[in-house]
This record gives sequence, structure tokens and C-alpha cells, in this order.
Amino acid sequence: MSQLQYFLALVAGGLSAAAFALSFATPLEQGLLLKAFLGLGFLSLIRFYVPLGLWADGAFALLGAVALLTSVGVFDPTPSFFWIALVVAWLFAWLFVERLSKTLAPRLSDNGGLGLLIPVVFGAALLVIWEVVTRGANIPPVLLPAPSMIAAQLVNSTPILWADFVQTFIKSVLPGYAIGCLSGLIVAILVDRSPFLKAGLLPIGNFMSALPIIGIAPIMVMWFGFDWQSKAAVVVAMTFFPMLVNTVAGLNASSIIERDLMRTYAAGYWQTLMKLRLPAAGPFIFNALKINSTLALIGAIVAEFFGTPVVGMGFRISTGVGRLAIDLVWAEIAVAAVAGSAFYGVIALIERGVTFWHPSVRGGRA
Amino acid sequence: MKKYIGGLLVSALALSAAPAFAADALTLQLKWVTQAQFAGYLVAESKGFYDEENLDVTILPGGPNVAPEQVIAGGGADIIVTWMAAGMAARESGVPLVNIAQPFKRSGLMMICPVENEIKTVKDFPGHTLGVWFFGNEYPFFAWMNKEGIATDGSAGGVTVLQQSFDIQPMIQGQADCISVMTYNEYGQALDAGYGPENLTIFNYTEMGNDLLEDGLYVLEDSLKDAAKVDAYTRFVRASMKGWAYAAEHPDEAAQIVVDMDDTGAATLEHQLYMTGEVAKLVDPADAKLDMATYERTVKALLDQSIIKAEPEGAYTTVVTDGL
Repeated sequence: MSQLQYFLALVAGGLSAAAFALSFATPLEQGLLLKAFLGLGFLSLIRFYVPLGLWADGAFALLGAVALLTSVGVFDPTPSFFWIALVVAWLFAWLFVERLSKTLAPRLSDNGGLGLLIPVVFGAALLVIWEVVTRGANIPPVLLPAPSMIAAQLVNSTPILWADFVQTFIKSVLPGYAIGCLSGLIVAILVDRSPFLKAGLLPIGNFMSALPIIGIAPIMVMWFGFDWQSKAAVVVAMTFFPMLVNTVAGLNASSIIERDLMRTYAAGYWQTLMKLRLPAAGPFIFNALKINSTLALIGAIVAEFFGTPVVGMGFRISTGVGRLAIDLVWAEIAVAAVAGSAFYGVIALIERGVTFWHPSVRGGRA
Repeated sequence: MKKYIGGLLVSALALSAAPAFAADALTLQLKWVTQAQFAGYLVAESKGFYDEENLDVTILPGGPNVAPEQVIAGGGADIIVTWMAAGMAARESGVPLVNIAQPFKRSGLMMICPVENEIKTVKDFPGHTLGVWFFGNEYPFFAWMNKEGIATDGSAGGVTVLQQSFDIQPMIQGQADCISVMTYNEYGQALDAGYGPENLTIFNYTEMGNDLLEDGLYVLEDSLKDAAKVDAYTRFVRASMKGWAYAAEHPDEAAQIVVDMDDTGAATLEHQLYMTGEVAKLVDPADAKLDMATYERTVKALLDQSIIKAEPEGAYTTVVTDGL
């Protein structure tokens, strides 16, 4: 038992005891499960005589979460022991994750999916705290809706969310991303061939990549109209420069000795490019693709804050606040987060397949 | 030493008596940026009408990303200026807003179409693109389209709706065939750009009988249980109406006050002078009461369009205007 675990166990047990004592001020039948949880938490102090397994802490945390969620709103006003119970449940979850990660540390790569449990427990704990605090403290939903409200809105507004997703992701992000990345790659190869472009264009490219490209959104609306074309144009502008700068750097990644080897095989420029330099630039190119996957989504959403048709994620997020449809705004944010993560994940998976030779993917295995 | 203790006593007395003389602090959240649309409040603050009523008023400017309903829900303001449609929608979303006074009697909202787009009547709308402001300003337009039976969801035989910027650019750039304007603001920009009644088809919401109540004063329902608060609101409305009357009589001075009070430096004297004149046509400085006929029509339009689902209960109170 490390010092941290010792401390967590002690505080969790002690606070349980205190909250358990305080809970007798309310009628016994109110929030019975919560009181049972606090009693068990008090009993967990027995671990200092009889060792408790880490799954016991996991069970405590789960029981605490269920007890809190079922008894939120039962008490009016929410008593202090309820908030202490929330802290206790959080401490048990922390203790569980702490012990689990210690156990898994020696076998980090193949632990049969147990490693996934750590972020899941952490995320679930955050959601439970959010839910319990917003409902327990009666926070007005227009300031911060509870996750359950957002989930209900996700289910009820599926057609709206789907239409917004198609408008923003399928029509603006994907074409813009494809055009931006492809043109960045082609221009990078041109730059690599010509010393003039290298000296002239690359500094400008570096300069442009530092500009807040999103500022051109209103201009793009002037040029391409207010529908998805102007948003895709913003995405092109945002994704082009990271790709250019990364690819140019990547094309110089192969060592002189490897290029000399190609020369001794009498390989021409294009053969060297295709067989040596582009594959060697793979990690750089995929780095740009991954950066761009998130940039493209952000760019398209923010570009929709200016002159849009009345559909799209950015439109909904910016105008939903004015209509006080805050739960819809959060649902839209959830969709955007999932879409962005999935997009990034797909690119990362392709990268693992393509640059299998790279040490970062091999995991150090020869 | 005696002197010293005496001094302490005097200052302690002064401190303990201070709250009795302190002005009541009120925070007003405007619906939009500092401009002559709010001349009454700005003039009342600048000319000391609030001070005369023993009020310490803070005026917070709004903007394109400020929802007054959210500000008041978060405790950032005591009173907000907002349109009734947005206020009622917020009431249903769990922000219990109550109308305490309605200085704006008429709507300043219009839709204008350059004549070359060949739109002469409402019947010509289908197949065209119309610019509409969102962020809580879209309700009057949708209520109007609902009344006319014109689809706004992009289906055939309906209109295409564009989320319009808060200027007349979409009309000048030809992105939209018609755009929304306020008589006192964007219409002035259109006049400056060489448009006018001779080359525009104008749909005025008030003349069509489609106007929904605009700038009213709203507070949270719970605060009306406190008699001291109600008294402060009453004094606030009285001073504000005095400000409106003053602005109507001295438009030049009012416009200058607005320009001076605008921290952003965006307000120009010429435009604010135009706005002061136009706003004066919509406000009745002698009467802060809510007109029930317009109220009923506003509520009916919101119900017809299912912006709100139930007839609002207690969404207005006369307790403040009765005390004027």
C-alpha cells in the first residue's frame, strides 16, 4: 500500500463515518441506499486489519455512484452529508483506479482490456459528479444542463443533429480536408524540386500557418456564397499550410546515405521519391493529417458562426445559446467531440498500418 | 486619546448609518450594443435621473454573443431589455422572466427587397432567399411565414432562410433577395448605401399587423416578491421614461450622450441621431404600460408557431407600472 493509497483509504473511511453520523438528522427512510453506502464506507476502514481487494473499492465506487444518482433530489434542501458522500464516492473511484493502474503497470501492453477500465472509470466519475452537482445544487439548466438532459436531447433531436452533422462534416469538412491536404502535399513536392520555391514560398507558408485563418471566413462567404462551399474553402485554407510545412520537412527525413544508395542503383528522381523519400516522410505526413483532422472540424464549425443556411453544427451552437436551447448546444458539442475523435482515430489507425516500420509503431520491437 | 476614540465613534456611527443613505444598486443588461435604441436608459444615467430616484444603475452593453436571458439567469443583471418572443421562450426554458414595463409600443422590424428581385407581395417569396437574424430575433419572421403558410425548412415551394449578419452586406452582395432591417438601424445603412423607398419593396411588420413586442423590461419572478425590489424597479422605470421623454425632446443631445457612453467607439453621431429620431416613433415616453392587445397577439403568434407550448401564466405584471 503506497502512501497515496493509505491516505485515500483513510480519508474516504473517515469522511464516510462523519457523513454517516450526520445522516441520522434526516428521517431514516429518506435516501436509504445512500446511508447504506456511507455505512459500508465507514466499515471499509477494516482494511487496516484485513486487506481488501481493489475490486472491493471498485464496488464501493459503483455503489456510491448509484446511491447518489438515485437519491439526488430526495432531500430538500440538499444536506451537507450528501455532498460529503459525493466526495467519498469520488475518493473510492480514485483509490480503485490508483490500485488498478499500479497492478497493471508491469504489463501495460497486454492486459486484456483492463487498461481501458481506467479512463472509463475516470470519465464516468466526472459525468456522475456533473449530474449530481447540477441536480443537487439546483443549477438552472440554462447555465449548465445535467448530462441526463443532454442525453435526452441527443435522443429527441436526432434528425436535427443528423442534418447538422451532414451539413458540417460530410459537406464542409471532408471535401475541404481532402482538397487542403492533397494540394498541400503536391505543393510540398513542387517546393522540394525547386530551390526558388523553397526559398520563396516556404517562409510565406510558415508565416501563413501562424495567422488565424478563421478570420477569412467572412471573406469566403463573400466569394463562395453562404452555403457549405465557403466553409469548405475555410477548411482548405486551414489544412493546406500544416500539410505543406510538415511534408517539406518530411521529404528531408531520409538520410544522405540512403539517397546515395538509390543513386548507386541508378534510380531517378521520381523513383527515389516514391520508393524512399515519401515513405520516409510518412510519419510527418500523417502528423499533418492528424493535426488537420481536428483543425478542419474546428474551422468548419467556427466558419458557420458567420452567414450560414439555417443548418449546421456551428449555426446550431452559436444560435442555440440565443434561444436558450442550451441542452441542444451541448448535444451538438457531444456530436462534434465524437465525430472529431472518430476522425482522428481513423487517421491514426491508417497510420499504424502504413508506417508499420517506424519505431514508434513497432513499439521498439526489431 | 479621547479625541481618537471620539473620532472612532463618529466614523463607526457613520458606517453603521451608511446603508440607510446608500442608493439601491441595479444592473441593466441591454439587448444589443450601446446605441440610441436604448437612448432612454443612457440619457437617464447620464443626466442623473437615476440618481434623483436614489438608484445606482450599471448599464451593461450587449452584443451578437450576449443572450440577456442567460445573463439574468446567471445573476449578472437585475433587469434586462429583450424582445417578448425571446423572453417567453426563455420563460419556458426555465428562466422565469416577467415583463414589468414596455416602453416600445411598436416594432421597428422590416424586411426589404431590392425591386430588381421582382418581389412585390408576400406571394412572390417562394423560391427566394430571405435573410433573418437568429439568436432570439428569428421568432417574428417565422411567425409571419407561419401565418402566410410558407415553408421555411428548405422544401420545394418554400423560402430559403439565410442566417443574416447584423448589417446589410447580404443584400449588397446579392446573397439574399430580401434582408431583415430595423427601421432605426440597418434601414439607415441601406439609405446611406443608396437604397430607398423608390428602389426597395418594404414589408413593415407593424403595418402588416405581424409585429411582436420588442424592447421591454424583464426581471426574474422571484425578485417581485420583495417589496423593496419592486419599489426600486418602479423608480427605475419612472427615471427611464423620463430619459425617453428627454431623448425625444432633445435628439441632438441624446445622440451625443449615446456616442459618449459607447466604450467601443463604434457609434457615430450621425447614425445615432438618425436612430434617436426613428426610435422616438416607436416609444411612448408617457406610457410604460404593456398594451394587452399587442401582448395577446404576440402570445398567440408564439403559440401558433409552437415556439412556446403553453399559454404563459404570470409572464407580465402591472405592479411596477401601476406605481408610477
